[in-house]
Amino acid sequence: MEVEINGARILATIENVPIFGTVQITQTLVVSWLILVLISALFIWLGSGLKVTGISRKQAVAETIYTSLVNFVRGNMGPDFDRYIPLVGTIFITSIVSNLISLVGIWSPTADLMTELAWALVVFVLITYHKIKASGIGGYLKGFLDPIFILAPINVMSELFTPISMACRHFGNILSGTVISSLIYAALVAANNALFHLLGSSMYVALAVTAVGLIPMVIGILKKKKKLMIPGIIVTVLGVLAILTCLGIRYPWLTIGIPAIPSLYFDWFSGCIQAFIFCTLTTLFIKQAAGE
Amino acid sequence: MDTLYQSLVTVNPVTLIAQICNLFIQLLIVKIFFLDKIKAVLDKRREAADKQIADAEAAKSEAAAIKQTYEENMRQAKAKADDLILSAQKTASQRGEEIISQAQQQAAQFKSKASADIALEKKKAINDAKNEISDLAMAIAGKVVERELSSADQDGMIDRFIEELGDGK
Repeated sequence: MEVEINGARILATIENVPIFGTVQITQTLVVSWLILVLISALFIWLGSGLKVTGISRKQAVAETIYTSLVNFVRGNMGPDFDRYIPLVGTIFITSIVSNLISLVGIWSPTADLMTELAWALVVFVLITYHKIKASGIGGYLKGFLDPIFILAPINVMSELFTPISMACRHFGNILSGTVISSLIYAALVAANNALFHLLGSSMYVALAVTAVGLIPMVIGILKKKKKLMIPGIIVTVLGVLAILTCLGIRYPWLTIGIPAIPSLYFDWFSGCIQAFIFCTLTTLFIKQAAGE
Repeated sequence: MDTLYQSLVTVNPVTLIAQICNLFIQLLIVKIFFLDKIKAVLDKRREAADKQIADAEAAKSEAAAIKQTYEENMRQAKAKADDLILSAQKTASQRGEEIISQAQQQAAQFKSKASADIALEKKKAINDAKNEISDLAMAIAGKVVERELSSADQDGMIDRFIEELGDGK
């Protein structure tokens, strides 16, 4: 069987737009707007009805979010960079929501390199701004000739690769999660077809499997032995599914539930940790640029 | 319907620019409707807390000032009381001495007056006795001697007699 892994789906193509020419409205854009609306609604709700004393549970959550964000930025950058709190917070929440939205079957905007590149370019502009501010435009340009002028091309490249590497790190992790999820899904479909082709070949086999599963299951439940009960339940379920297949009800049964296990790492863990890494790098790079 | 896909890794300037715009729109919304509001509330709360602390400190220093004044007053009062007691003691002892000396004076006066009186009485008594004795002597002498004596001789003789009597005492 073929496993196809594509980029964002192109939902509409608008020709002859001034300046841009052909504009493709992709899933990335539409989902990004959706996420923009979602996050805005969430934060407008969180930021409404605030009180100084006698706070609600909602406000406690909002204040915790705010305090941890401020602590994160101050912990990484020191107290002089409070104006980057909104940027870091926005990138973080957008990244998290974009990564995790794939869990409900919607295309992740972060599986499109352009999303991360957009953020990384903003960070790159800030890095450059702080470097120029710290040592003047002359000092900034002179820095490329350091330690000797021959290294200038390498210095320029290293400068340019900062945003690219930031973007690609984030993108690569999310993309790999998507790729592996697709592969696991395809593999489960194949395994499903093979298994039920065998078990569901005739009603006798299916009934036999069900019976084989039922006996240890019933004994296990009566004697309260989990070692008998659990395999019994599994075999019984397989048998019942085989009966359903014989009756003509076909579905890739194995894809229910099982993909959630690798998704714990590839979507949840990776999604959260990449947002965190991107924000940490943002703060550290800006701090480093301003400090030199 | 044919679904069109972008390739897996592609550079799409429109998406890039749109995503930068999205980031800034999101940033503004988060900042204006969430971060700024929470910050304002937290600042207000901190101000309130600071104010309470300042108020408490003011009250504390005020209390300390009041306490100091009170203690000062108490010290003054005590000193005054001590003064009063001291002066009262002094007055009392002075007065006592005065009374004693007055009493002594009076007693001395009484004593001298009494001794003067006694002397007077004694003299008077002596004179009375003298007269009586002279009368008695006259009578005795008149009877015993039975001779007439001139009154002058009589008087001189009696006086001498009396004086001898007095000296003989």
